[in-house]
Amino acid sequence: MDFVRNFPFFSILLPMISGPISSVLSGKRAKRLNFAVVTVSGLLSVAAFVYVLSTGEAFNYRMGAFPAPFGNEIRVGLLETMMASFFCFVMLLSIVGGYRFTKVDIPEEKQNLFYIMMNLLLSSLLALIYTNDMFTGYVFIEINTIAACGLIMIRGWGRNLLAATKYMIMSLLGSGLVLISLSILYGITGHLLMEPMHEAIVKIIEQRTYNEPLTVAVGLFCVGIAIKSALFPFHSWLPDAYGYSTCASSAILSSLVSKGYIFLLIKFFYRVIGTDIIHQIQVDDVLFVFGIAGMVFGSISAIQQTDVSRMIAFSSVAQIGYIYMGFGLNTEAGMIASIFHILAHAAGKSMLFISLNSLSDGTWEYANYRKLRGAAYRHKIASLGFAVGSLSMVGIPLLAGFTSKVYYAKAAFGVGSTPKMLIALVALAISTVLNAMYFIGQMINIYTPVGTEPEPGTVKHSNVTRVAVFMFIAVNFVLGMGSEPVFRWIQTGLAQFM
Amino acid sequence: MIGAWLIPVTVLVPLLGAILLMTPLYRKSTLSVRVVTGAFVTATCLLVVAVAMLGEKEIELFELLPDIPVFFRSDKTAVWFAVLTVAMWMTSTLFSFEYMNHERRETRYCVFSLLALAALMGVCFSGNLVTTYLFYEMMTLATFPLVMHEQTKESISAGITYLYYSLAGAFLGLIGVFFLYSFAEERSVAGGVISYAAGGFIRGDLSNNERTALTIAVFFMLIGLGSKVGMYPLHGWLPKAHPVAPAPASALLSGNITKMGILFVIRVVFFSVGPEFLQGTWAQYALLGLALLTVFLGSMLAFREKVFKKRLAYSTVSQTSYVLVGLYLLAPVAAMGAFLHIIFHSITKNLLFLVAGAIIYKTGRTKVAQMKGIGLIMPVTMICFTLGGLALVGIPPFSGFVSKWYLAAGALKTETGPMRFLVPVILIISALLTAGYLITMASDAFFVVEEHEGHGAHGGAKKEETASEKPADADAEAVFSENAAASPAENDEEDEFDVITADSAQKGREASPFMLIPLVVLAAGTLFFGLFPSLLTDWVAQILNSVF
Repeated sequence: MDFVRNFPFFSILLPMISGPISSVLSGKRAKRLNFAVVTVSGLLSVAAFVYVLSTGEAFNYRMGAFPAPFGNEIRVGLLETMMASFFCFVMLLSIVGGYRFTKVDIPEEKQNLFYIMMNLLLSSLLALIYTNDMFTGYVFIEINTIAACGLIMIRGWGRNLLAATKYMIMSLLGSGLVLISLSILYGITGHLLMEPMHEAIVKIIEQRTYNEPLTVAVGLFCVGIAIKSALFPFHSWLPDAYGYSTCASSAILSSLVSKGYIFLLIKFFYRVIGTDIIHQIQVDDVLFVFGIAGMVFGSISAIQQTDVSRMIAFSSVAQIGYIYMGFGLNTEAGMIASIFHILAHAAGKSMLFISLNSLSDGTWEYANYRKLRGAAYRHKIASLGFAVGSLSMVGIPLLAGFTSKVYYAKAAFGVGSTPKMLIALVALAISTVLNAMYFIGQMINIYTPVGTEPEPGTVKHSNVTRVAVFMFIAVNFVLGMGSEPVFRWIQTGLAQFM
Repeated sequence: MIGAWLIPVTVLVPLLGAILLMTPLYRKSTLSVRVVTGAFVTATCLLVVAVAMLGEKEIELFELLPDIPVFFRSDKTAVWFAVLTVAMWMTSTLFSFEYMNHERRETRYCVFSLLALAALMGVCFSGNLVTTYLFYEMMTLATFPLVMHEQTKESISAGITYLYYSLAGAFLGLIGVFFLYSFAEERSVAGGVISYAAGGFIRGDLSNNERTALTIAVFFMLIGLGSKVGMYPLHGWLPKAHPVAPAPASALLSGNITKMGILFVIRVVFFSVGPEFLQGTWAQYALLGLALLTVFLGSMLAFREKVFKKRLAYSTVSQTSYVLVGLYLLAPVAAMGAFLHIIFHSITKNLLFLVAGAIIYKTGRTKVAQMKGIGLIMPVTMICFTLGGLALVGIPPFSGFVSKWYLAAGALKTETGPMRFLVPVILIISALLTAGYLITMASDAFFVVEEHEGHGAHGGAKKEETASEKPADADAEAVFSENAAASPAENDEEDEFDVITADSAQKGREASPFMLIPLVVLAAGTLFFGLFPSLLTDWVAQILNSVF
C-alpha cells in the first residue's frame, strides 16, 4: 500500500489533534499553528489528489485496518481530494485575509479559542468530504455545527449571540432530522457504510418492501441538509450569522461550511440512494422548485438590504438556490454545474466578505450602503476584489460565475423535460438580472467619489489582506478562463462515485 | 501564422495602452496622457489595416469553456466593422484632446476609451458567439464609466440606466446563445468547435417543436441585442446616456457602440441561424415591425426634442433602426443598404455629435433654440454640420442617399407582403422628419432673422449687459470654468444665452484645429462615399454572396 493513501486520514486527524493543543497556546502561537495545520492539510490533500489522478481510481481507506462492522472507513476519490484541496486553500486565504480583523474583533484571551474552532471546522469539513460511513457523517455534522457556532459567537456582540442562538436552533433541528433519517435507513438496510447501504436500498426498491420509509428517510435527510445549508425557506438564520461575524468567520461560513453539508448530500444521492431512485421518488423535483425559489427570493431579499454585509449574505441564499437547482435537474451535467458552482461561489463569496470588511474597516456601522460610498478610494485592492467578486456573481465572462452559469444552461438543455428546461433558463435569466441590480449598484456606489477625502480607517491596511484578495482574484479568473480541466476532474470524480 | 496573431494583438494593444495610463508614471502631465492615448489608438489603427490587408485568418486563443474557445476570425464582416471602429476612434480621440480641456479626469476618460476600443476590437474580430458575448459585456463595462464621466446626478443615473439596459439585453442574448449552441450542426471548423458560418450553422433536421423553440429564442435574443442598438422597446437608455456623456464619448456611443449591437445581430441572423431559417416566420415580421416603429418614433421624438444632443440621440434611435430594417428584410439588396448605412450613419452621427461638442465647448449652448446664428461664430463647424445633416436626410450626392436607395429598393424586391410597401413609406416620412429637425437647424444657424425689432433691441440691451463678460467669454479656458461645464439641466433653469447677431458674432471664435480636422474629415467622408459608393459595395457584395 502506498504511503500516500494515509494522507487524507492524516489531513483530518491533524487539525483535530491541533485543536486541543491550541487550547494551551497563546493566541499568537495558536494562529501560527493553525496556519501550519491548514497549509499541511492542504498539501496532504493535494498530494492525495495527484495520487488519485495518477492511479485513476478511488480507494477506500480503513482506519486501523479493521473491517466494516467495527472499523471506520473513509473514501478517497478524485472529487473528494479536489474538494478537500480547494477547501483548504480557500480556508487558508480567508483566515489570512481576515488576520487583521480577527486581531481587532476578538479579545486577546479568546484568540486561541477562535483558532481551535477553525481547526475543528477544518477537521470536520474534511471528514464530511471523505467519509464513507453515514454515521461518521452525522457525527462530523454536529462537530461542524458546534465549531461554526463558536465562530459566529466569538466576536461577542449581542447580535452575534443572537445569531449564534438562531443558528444553533436551526442547525440542531437540521441535524436532528438527519439523525432520524439515518436511523430509519439503518433500520431498513442494516448498514451504515455507503456501498452496502446502496446495495440494500436497490433491493428494497426492487422488492417494494419499505418504499415509504425510504422516501421519508430521503426526504428527512434532504430537509435536514437543506436547513443546515440555508436553502430558501430555511434561510432565516443565515444573514445574521454571516453578516455580523468577524471577517474570517463570515468568509469561511459562507463559502465552505454550507458546502461541506452539500457535498455530503451529493455523496448521499450518488453513493447511498442512487440518482435514478432519487428521480423515482421525485425528491429532485422538490429540490428543483425550492432551488428556483431560492435563486429568485434570495436576490429579492438582497436588493432590500441597506447593510451590505447582509446583502452579500442574502446573495448566498440565491447562490445556494443555484446549487440545489442543479441537483434538481438530476443529470450528470446538472451535478457537474452545481459542483463547479460550489467552487465558483466559494472563491467569489469569501473574496467579497474579505473585501467588504476591508472597505468598511470591519465595523458594522461602516458596512452601511451610504457609508460605503467612495470607499474604493480608501482601499484600492479590496475594492478591486469587491468589483471582481460582484462581476463574477453577476456572471460576466472570464470570471468563474459566468462559467458556472453556462454549465447550468447547458445542463438545462440536457434535462429532457421541456418545462423544467424553460423554468431553469428563465430563473437563470431573472436571477442574473436581479444579481446585477444589487451587485453592480453596490459596485458603482463604492466607486462613486464623495468629494471629500475619506477619513482614515481605524484598521490599517494590511499587506496580508492584499495578498489574499489578489489570490482570490486570480482564482476567480482561473476558474473562469481555464475551467476545462476542473470540469474533467469533476466528471471523472462523479464517475468514480458510481 | 503571424498574420493570425495580429488579430488578438489588436485587442491587446489598446489594453496595454490603458494599463500604461493606469500606472502612476503617466498620471502627471496632460500632454503625456494624450501622446500615449494617441499613439496607442494609431497603433491599433495600423494593426487593423494590416489585418485587413492580410485577408481572412483565424486563431484560437484558449478554451474558455470545454469546446468553446476564445476564437478570432478576420472575415470580411469583421474587417468592415473593425476599420469603421478604428477610423471613428481616431477622429473622436483627436477631438477629445481639445474637448477634454473642460472636463476633469482626462486620464480616466482616456483609460476607459482605450479599454472600450480593446473590447470593440474583440467584438469585431470574434469568431464565435461566446467570444462575441464576452467582449460585448466587456464593452458595456468599459463604456458606462464614459457615460458617467461628469459625475453629476444625471450622468450617474444615466450610466446606471445604460448599464442595466445593456446587461439585461445581453443576458437575453446569452439565453439565445445557449439555444443556438444546442441546435448547432457539428460543423468542424477548429477541432469540432462551433464558429460563425455564413448562412448559419443550425441543424437542417429540426422538428417543428424545436423550430418553434429556436424561433422564440432568437426573437427574444434579437430584442435583447436591440437594447444596444436602441430598438424599441429597449431604447430607453440612449436619450438618457448620450446627452450627459462628454461629446466625443457620445459620438462613439452613438456611432460605434450601437453598431456593435448591430454586428451581434448580423452575427446571429446571418452567421448563426441563417436568413433562410427566419424568412417568413412571425419573428421576422415582428422584428421588422418593431424596427420600423422605432424608425418612425425616433424621428418623431427627435423632431420634438429641444436639447441638441438629445435630439441627436433620438435621431440615432431612428437611424440605427434603418439598419435593422435592412437586416430583418433578409434579402441581399436590403442587406446591402443596411451594411452601407452602418458606415454612413456612423460617420455622420460622429460628425454631428462632435459638432455638438464643439458648440458646447466653445459657447456652452446646449439647446436648439440657443443655436440660432451660431454659424456666424463657427462657420466651418456649421458647414460640416449642414453636410452631415444633408447626408443623414439622404439627399444625393451625399452618402445617406445611397444606403436609403438600397434599403427602399431592396424592400420592394422582397416577398414580405405589405411590409415591403410600408418600408419605403416609413423611410420617406422619417427622412422628412430628419430634414425637419436637422436642416432647419442648419438654416437657422446661418440665416439670422433680424426683422424682429423689439426682440433685436432687447437682444442689444442684453448684449450690453453681457459685454463685460464677452472678452473672458472669447477665451476658451475661462468659459468652461463658468458656464460650459454646467450640465444641460442647469442650463434649463438659467437661460442666459443672448441671441447671436451679426455684430456679436464678430467676438466669437471658430473651434481650434484639433476639433476642426476631425469634423472636416468626417464631412468629407460623407460626401466622398456618397459619390463613390462602389468602393464599399463590392466588399459588401462579397459578404452577402457568401450569406445568401
